[in-house]
Amino acid sequence: MQLRIFEWFSPTKHDGARSTAKDRMRNMLTHDRLELPAGRLESLEEELVAVVSRYFELDKDTTQFDLQQYERRTSLIANFRLLRSKC
Amino acid sequence: MSGRVIVITSGKGGVGKTTASANIGVALATSGASVALVDMDIGLRNLDILMGLENRVVYNLVDVVEERCKLRQALVKDKKLPNLSLLPAAQTRDKSAVDADQMKALCEELKSMYDFVLVDSPAGIEQGFQNAVAGAEEAIVITTPEMSAVRDADRIIGLLEARKDEIKEYRLVLNRYRPTMVQNNDMMSVDDVLEILSVKLLGVVPEDEEIIVSTNKGEPVSGTDNVRSGLAYRNIARRIRGEEVPIMDLEVKNPSWMSRIVSFFNPTVRV
Repeated sequence: MQLRIFEWFSPTKHDGARSTAKDRMRNMLTHDRLELPAGRLESLEEELVAVVSRYFELDKDTTQFDLQQYERRTSLIANFRLLRSKC
Repeated sequence: MSGRVIVITSGKGGVGKTTASANIGVALATSGASVALVDMDIGLRNLDILMGLENRVVYNLVDVVEERCKLRQALVKDKKLPNLSLLPAAQTRDKSAVDADQMKALCEELKSMYDFVLVDSPAGIEQGFQNAVAGAEEAIVITTPEMSAVRDADRIIGLLEARKDEIKEYRLVLNRYRPTMVQNNDMMSVDDVLEILSVKLLGVVPEDEEIIVSTNKGEPVSGTDNVRSGLAYRNIARRIRGEEVPIMDLEVKNPSWMSRIVSFFNPTVRV
């Protein structure tokens, strides 16, 4: 009830289930379309980090790993910040 | 004449395929086109009820395929629109009663008789769906803005994509849309669903109690004036015929102070 009082006076809409649904949906369909089991992507990420680490020192905190959808096609976007090469 | 064969499908059951088939059929026929509605939900016949034709069904689609009657004998004419006919499903058989080749042949024959052949597909992605799609060149995918329905629609779109050689075009109808809930950020919007599915939009049909009333009467809403969902279906029919019709304004006006007070004390009442 308290929350609704704030809502009543605040001009901005509350952040309801809409964005949650959208995020879950996106994630679910990415996996559905690729027939990708849960956890599979994470193990790929681990392996890729290990491979790149053989060649470079990595800033591991900034490594980004993402599946992006464009027109029903999925791309794997991996972003490694390289510090220096290992010889 | 060579008409267009359009399959109406959804994956998930209960999202409004049959209602959409009936209403789009009536709307197309009202605009002057000749239309055959084909109920492919063999074993679970319903389209005849929505059209108010359940008492006139003598033969059905399976009778035609198994040559117990001529196609023309099985087609049931609509009560009001002489250019609209229904080919009912069999109620006592199952999906295996017809195969894809038989369906293709049937659609070919219907296509030579009508401007539009609308095939109401059964729910699911199994043989019943595959048969319903067999003779079609276009598809209409129906979904509601709920997660489970959108997920199933995505699966159907994937299967339609795999049939690119036969299905030249598919578009989405977003059914049972609740603008108030979207405005309150409680439900996915039209744009959310389109973005997630990457699909072209054919129309948006608002949630409307009149649909239940019309089903009970056996008179699809698209034949009635002053009903929002009926207007949405008439717009869909015009878009199918190639007209540019903007999506109708679904925005709900700011609620009055009075109704805000009501909803404040009783949050379950949506105004």
